[in-house]
Amino acid sequence: MLLPATVLLLVLAVATLRIYSILSPRKRPPARSRQAETCSLAVFLGSGGHSSEALSLMASLDFSRYTPRTYIVSDGDPLSVEKATALELLKARTLSETLRGADSVGEYSILIIPRARRVHQNLLTTPLTALRSLLVSIYHITVSPFLPPFGSRTPVFEVLIFNGPGTCFVLCLAAFLNRFLGLPSPRMIYIESFARVKSLSLTGKLLRPIVDSFVVQWPDVLADGRRGAYYGWLV
Amino acid sequence: MRVFVTVGSTKFDALVQAALSPSVIIALKQKGYTEVVVQCGNSQIDGFDLVVTPAGWRSEQEGTKITVWRFKPTLEEDFNEADLIISHAGSGTILDVLRKGKPLIVIPNPTLADNHQEELAHALSSLGHLKASTTSALAEAIVNLDVSSLSPFPAFDGSRFRQLLDEEMGFAP
Repeated sequence: MLLPATVLLLVLAVATLRIYSILSPRKRPPARSRQAETCSLAVFLGSGGHSSEALSLMASLDFSRYTPRTYIVSDGDPLSVEKATALELLKARTLSETLRGADSVGEYSILIIPRARRVHQNLLTTPLTALRSLLVSIYHITVSPFLPPFGSRTPVFEVLIFNGPGTCFVLCLAAFLNRFLGLPSPRMIYIESFARVKSLSLTGKLLRPIVDSFVVQWPDVLADGRRGAYYGWLV
Repeated sequence: MRVFVTVGSTKFDALVQAALSPSVIIALKQKGYTEVVVQCGNSQIDGFDLVVTPAGWRSEQEGTKITVWRFKPTLEEDFNEADLIISHAGSGTILDVLRKGKPLIVIPNPTLADNHQEELAHALSSLGHLKASTTSALAEAIVNLDVSSLSPFPAFDGSRFRQLLDEEMGFAP
C-alpha cells in the first residue's frame, strides 16, 4: 500500500518538476550561419477572422526562406483551405517573377485536424471530441517524425504560429508533450488577434505561459506587466 | 452615391432594421446616398416591402434604390463599389474596409456575449479611422459624418512580423 503511493508521489513530483522546467521560454535557436538556410513552418488557420489574420502574417514572410509550409486547418473549414491555396498561388507567381527561390514554390501542404469543440457543442461530449483532436495532433507532432522516411532529430516543423481559437490549444499541448519527453519540438509563437484591444482571449490566457513568444497587437492588453511583447499592428 | 451595409457571417436583426428605417434612408439621402445595398446574412427580413429579383430583394423608399441579399462568397466587389460602408464591428471586415480607404461606420452588436468588438470599434474610432455608433443613433451618425475628417488607416506593414519571425528563428537581419 505504502510502496505504490510513494511511487505515485515520486512520479508526480518528477512530472511537476519537468513541466516547471520546460515552462520557462526556451532560448532562441542559434543564429543561422547561412542566409540561404531554410526553416520549416506550420501555421494554424482557426477559421473566419482568425484565418484572415494568420494569412496576413504569412503573406509578409519570405516563402523561399520559410519552406516547406504546413497549413493546419480544422475539419469543415473549406474556406480557410481555399484562402491558403490562393495565398500560395499568389506567392508562387511573385517568386517565379523574381526568379528567386523558384525551388520552394508550391512546397506546402494542408493538414486537417478534427475540431476540439464545435460551436454550440454540448459540454458533456466536448471532452471526447477534444481528446480525439489531441490524439490526432500528437500523432502528427509527436509520433510522425519517428515514422520513415524522417529521422527523429528534427521536429516535424521548426516553428508553429497560431492566433486562436480553441483547437490550436491541443496543437500546443502536443508540442508541449514533445518537450516533456525531451523530443525536438517546434518553437511556438502566439499572435493575439487585432480584435483584442484591452483584454486577452481565453486561448491567449491559456497559452500565455506555455508558448515561446507571446505577441499582442494593442499595448493595453499587456497592462498586467506579465510576459508578452507588442510591436504595433502586425496585420 | 452608394452605401453598402453588411452584417457579416451571422445575423444582426437590429442593424438591418435600422438601415432600412425611414429615418436612416432620409439621412442618407440628405448626404447624397441614394442607393443602398444590404448584405443581411441570416437576419430577419420579414415585414419589409421587398420584391424578389435575380439580383436579390429590391425595394424603393423616398426615391432610394434598395437591394437586399443574404450572402456572397466575397464582399470585395461590394466594398469597392460603395462610397460608404456601414458594418458590424467584426475585425476582418474593419481591416478589409479601412485598407480600401473607404469611409466606415461600425455598429458593435450588443447581443454578443464577449463584446470585445465594441472595444475595437471605440479604439479605432478614437484614433479617427472610423465612426462607431449604435443602431438607434445611426441616422444621426450619418448626418454628422464628415468623410474628410477621417484619418487614413496605415497600409499593411509586413516588415514587422517578418523581422519578428526572422529574429525568433535565428536569421540575421
